[in-house]
Amino acid sequence: MHEAFASLLNSAAGAVLIKILKAVFLAVLSIGVVSMAVTAKPKRGTTSFTLLRIIFAVAFVAVLCYQAYWQLLGFSHPKFARFLRRYNRRANAAEIQVLRGPILDRRGRVLAAPVRGDIWARRYPLGDAAAHPLGYYHCKYGITAVERVEDPLLSGYLPESDEPPLSKRILTPRAKEGKEVELNLDARLQLFAYDQFQGRPGAAVVMNPRDGSLLALVSSPGFDPRHPQSAFTNTVTKCAFNRAVQGLYPPGSTFKPLVAGMAFDAGIKPVMDCPGSGYTPGPHTAPIRDSEYYAYARNGQVWPGWNNMNLKQAIVHSSNVYFARLGVQCGTERFNSMLARAGLNAPVRYFAGSVGELKSVAGNAPAVEKPLQLAQPAIGQGRILVTPLHVACYTAAVAADGKMPTPRLGAFDPPGEPVRLFSAAAAAYVRSAMREVVTSGTGKAANLRGLAICGKTGTAQVPGGKDHAWFTCFAPEKNPSLVVTVLVEHGGFGAKSALPIARDIMVEAQKLGYVK
Amino acid sequence: MSEKRLSVSSPVAAAACLFALDALAVVAALLPVVGAQIKSGTVPALFSFLPLGVYLTGFLLSLGWLKLIGWRGDAGLFGSSALLCGIGLVMQARMGGFSMDWQQLLPLPAGILAMMLGAAVTSGGRGAWMSKVGWLAYAGAVGLMAAMLALGNRFRGGVFMPGNMNPSELVKPLLVLFLASYLSRRDREFSSATIGIPTPPLRDLLVLAGLWCVPTALSILLHDLGLMMLLNATLLIMLFAVARRTGYLALGLLAATAAGYAVQRFSAHARARFDVWLDPFTDPTGKGWQTLQALSAMYSGGLWGAGLGSGEPHSIPIVTSDFIYAALAEEIGLFGCALLVLAYLIFFSRGFRAAGGSETVYGRLLGAGLAGSIAVQALLNIAGVVKALPMTGITLPFISHGGSSMVTVMLMAGMLVGLSDTGRAAPERKEADE
Repeated sequence: MHEAFASLLNSAAGAVLIKILKAVFLAVLSIGVVSMAVTAKPKRGTTSFTLLRIIFAVAFVAVLCYQAYWQLLGFSHPKFARFLRRYNRRANAAEIQVLRGPILDRRGRVLAAPVRGDIWARRYPLGDAAAHPLGYYHCKYGITAVERVEDPLLSGYLPESDEPPLSKRILTPRAKEGKEVELNLDARLQLFAYDQFQGRPGAAVVMNPRDGSLLALVSSPGFDPRHPQSAFTNTVTKCAFNRAVQGLYPPGSTFKPLVAGMAFDAGIKPVMDCPGSGYTPGPHTAPIRDSEYYAYARNGQVWPGWNNMNLKQAIVHSSNVYFARLGVQCGTERFNSMLARAGLNAPVRYFAGSVGELKSVAGNAPAVEKPLQLAQPAIGQGRILVTPLHVACYTAAVAADGKMPTPRLGAFDPPGEPVRLFSAAAAAYVRSAMREVVTSGTGKAANLRGLAICGKTGTAQVPGGKDHAWFTCFAPEKNPSLVVTVLVEHGGFGAKSALPIARDIMVEAQKLGYVK
Repeated sequence: MSEKRLSVSSPVAAAACLFALDALAVVAALLPVVGAQIKSGTVPALFSFLPLGVYLTGFLLSLGWLKLIGWRGDAGLFGSSALLCGIGLVMQARMGGFSMDWQQLLPLPAGILAMMLGAAVTSGGRGAWMSKVGWLAYAGAVGLMAAMLALGNRFRGGVFMPGNMNPSELVKPLLVLFLASYLSRRDREFSSATIGIPTPPLRDLLVLAGLWCVPTALSILLHDLGLMMLLNATLLIMLFAVARRTGYLALGLLAATAAGYAVQRFSAHARARFDVWLDPFTDPTGKGWQTLQALSAMYSGGLWGAGLGSGEPHSIPIVTSDFIYAALAEEIGLFGCALLVLAYLIFFSRGFRAAGGSETVYGRLLGAGLAGSIAVQALLNIAGVVKALPMTGITLPFISHGGSSMVTVMLMAGMLVGLSDTGRAAPERKEADE
């Protein structure tokens, strides 16, 4: 009989039976209490202590009212709501009832989904490839990234404004399913971009320069979001680290378009000789040389230098000597204000969740005090450190007529006011120069038929290791619709390791219809 | 007139009808709980329904007992005690209280026996002899507390006897017995007042204060602030009951405020609880944890509750005793809690009414003291759990886990059930009842 009872409760009918029993219990309890209240009262004696009875009735009703506040409206108490989100261990039990909502990409494809029957299990179809932007949801290691800042939505606690009216909220049982969260990511592009790294450490940012929507945000190597503990312990690849938004790297030559735009707007477009011996900004500094100097030196030759070089040619050939001198000519005031406008010292917000934002780390671009100290920063070296997301943002400004967008990972993130970095004319000038980089300069490997890519290579010197390789680009040249920024840690020459990845991502994006 | 509404002839039959409803509610509540236990295999299958059997048999026997002693009291009082006891049984079963061995079942039949005993002692005006043993009760109470102080083990800020018995529960009815007998002999003195302010003769006041000092001091030494508050509130209610002067309540409220201030000023233990009550969010994962977990449980329950056996109350520390109400709130919801509180209110209200109907001053005081002390205890516990008042560390009568608590409260309930039968002839129907 007991086995039969147990199996009955285990079946689907058992769930209904338990609900019926709950209703029966409350109903019989009501009937019982009411009948007790109306049962014959014994004859009134000398006194009936009416005052005491009233006092206790009032006290208990007051306590019940206070209880009702917490029990029905607890979530409208902000501190209690925070406690519930963080420490209500019932979150796991509640999710037996509340099925955690899915995270979807821009075309409704699943990026994260619940597994029925296992409260903490979560399915991530992209696996390692999207672990960084999505985050994980783990009973022991907590919640991160999008899973964290959209947790109230996903787990069915709605923000106050979305909640149904008070009466409905009180009378109906709580939500059974969490809401879904839509991202701007494209699952196929994200996976494709991640695969291009083949496990090499690096990062890629794919962004629409007009509205800032992020189509891919890749950090390589990734980790299995179902087992984040493996990532924490891996000190060799440091794969728990989101290189796209947490990694700080010198921008190297990818910084030159930004400096060029600033100089163009200031009317500083000198034609200069850039001698092979390089440029020595001060008495105690090493000379800044073009990369060709070292290439020639390796073959036992002497680099003669560039003659009569203008701004555009300097971008095309990525002349360090030219830009170092240009930076010094522009002066500290212009340079520092440009750093501030480009937000290089600040974190970049890229997701506005319902209980918090996701931001990159702040870049490190200290203000320069003496003009001669501008020589190193102007070529993206020295003390300047930025994240790949920062580079993607100022590249987007070149693509979008000088206006730098706010990146948006969430489909419903507010667009944010774009920041004007430079004039449309300056942007057009730098854009045509970046096109020439690809057609005849350092980025020739990206010169494709049928897709006019504008790009800039970067090879950032780092102490104690091979150079970091950058390629930041956008396409098409007229009315650009996509920015791709790729960093390969210690990848060597930018055109060799970072450029092919960025180019292939661009081609794939074109196939998917994001480059028009 | 309400007697005619339910066309049941004798009080015992009416009590039996109410008990049938109680039993139905308990069965509906217990089935999913037992089902979950059988499912998880924590309890041997045959054992699962044993508590229910004991409950049904016990109360049916006690109905027979009431018939046997010719009880003609208040059926509502009996029905509400049986209901509260049944809900306590359900909650103990739900929290796994019966899963270890058969000895855990003992408090229930012991409690029912205590109830039968209490009813037999006081019903039909038979309890008058008890007023002669007031001093014995006083000595017993003080002796128990002193023994606990000497022999008890400190545990979580309280003192427990070996085997986690808590005989301090028994102190409550003993002191009620003492106060009822002491005050009933001096009702005239304690009733005297000038312009509404009670002014009993100084000598009586000093003697009472001196006598009362001892249990109060002992409860402070035992670090049982809840017991101290409960005893003093009971004293207040009984003073009010003897004198029927509102002045006692007003003075008592003043004294309670002053005492509360003094206690939270001088006792670090009490102040910590006071601070947690004021703002549990300053240390949410430490001192505020228990209260906030209790509130989380309630929030998860909502209006209708998760269903008995379907909640997750074990994340609240000490949930089976002090915080059992939070588990209830999670599983039966605010609606169920309101019904439970209503059941309590019916019990207290009927208890006070039974006290008031008593022929003697002694009976009146005894009833008011018993009903009042259970009411204060329930109020302090529930208000503490829902954070309306600071936690005082006392249990919820009828429902919290604990054998001594169960036996004591059932004994007190039994005495009230007995008191509701005054021994007078059946009430004349002509007289308007309300």
